[in-house]
Amino acid sequence: MIYEVFLKKDGRDEYRHAGALEAANDELALVLARESYLRRAEGSRLWLARRDHIIEGGTDFVAPNADKPHRHHDGQAVAAHRKQVREDRS
Amino acid sequence: MTRSWNTMEDFEAFLNDGGIVEVDDAMPEDYRKAVFTFIEMHANSELMGGLTERDWIPKTPGLRHKMSVLAKTQDEIGHGHLLYMVAADMGIKTRTEMLEDLFAGKSRFHNVFHYKAETWGDQVAIAFLVDAAALASQQAVFKNCSYGPYRRILKRIISEEGFHMRLGEDRMMRIANGTDLQRELFQGALDRWFWPSLQLFGPDSKPGDLLLRWHIKSERNEVLRDRWVQKFVPLLQSYGFSVPCPDLTQDEDGRWDVGPIDWEPLKATLAQGGPDSKRRIEQAARNWERTQWVRTAMDELAVPA
Ligand SMILES: [Fe+2]
Ligand SMILES: [Fe+2]
Repeated sequence: MIYEVFLKKDGRDEYRHAGALEAANDELALVLARESYLRRAEGSRLWLARRDHIIEGGTDFVAPNADKPHRHHDGQAVAAHRKQVREDRS
Repeated sequence: MTRSWNTMEDFEAFLNDGGIVEVDDAMPEDYRKAVFTFIEMHANSELMGGLTERDWIPKTPGLRHKMSVLAKTQDEIGHGHLLYMVAADMGIKTRTEMLEDLFAGKSRFHNVFHYKAETWGDQVAIAFLVDAAALASQQAVFKNCSYGPYRRILKRIISEEGFHMRLGEDRMMRIANGTDLQRELFQGALDRWFWPSLQLFGPDSKPGDLLLRWHIKSERNEVLRDRWVQKFVPLLQSYGFSVPCPDLTQDEDGRWDVGPIDWEPLKATLAQGGPDSKRRIEQAARNWERTQWVRTAMDELAVPA
């Protein structure tokens, strides 16, 4: 079975995807993950997820949200106003 | 993987050392409760704010603004979703219990959502002043927050609140460059929203404030409030509006002082006795009942494992 490997350091960081591995069962997968991904304290916590349990949203599915300009605002006019105010004051 | 601490001193030493608590740690119960209550109130406020925002979708002038109000409404409801998840994971109340308590008037949400938005000017004032005040408070939590799951979610929320504030300021700028009638409309809104926005920061932090002690908040309320005043008083004036403070003064160093603050209105909102509390809560509760069919349909859709 293939497992995806996620590692987290203690502290502020989130879990990050580190890679994948193949193992016969969960227990062996844990050992293999520790011995191949965590050799030098690359993290202090480990998550394994079976690849066939992962639900993927592909690029086509995700794509529509790339085209929503009304969810953004560059704030340029406002930034220009604020700059002007600062300059007038100094 | 569970970490645990033998004593509160050990736990506080861990926090003072910059330690970050994760959901599966055996954290002291008092810490768990304090963090949960704080996140629950934040989640409730996002939801109540989103509902006000939603009320304005049909009344918003022009397609451009309407689209952005739609985006902001979705953002706020999304913030509520993210935060209820973080809060529910702490194992004190489920998401449904939190929502039921909110709609029964048993739990709190921020003072600013206990007022009525009378005009489009109010919506603009909210997006600018309220979102800016909320953003400043959230940034101060994000900076040093000892509860990891909350901190990670705040990162995302903060970037979207920045969008709301820019939207608000841009709209205010358009109004400032508009007609006398528009400027009057906004001045009226400012007169209504300036004080509630300022009161959002709360009264001066008490010496033993546990949220400060446990590194949830990184700044005292009065520090954040003063920073907001120093920034927003001159900014509002630069757009040609007047700040509704009869006792407003400026010292030789250019620092603004808004004078004494009346905390009674804030206290009233915390007891669900604000000018619009009753209607807001009832409306939210009715909304929850009316959308029961959606939840039922979702449950029926769910495939048993
Ligand atoms: Fe929000
Ligand atoms: Fe917002």
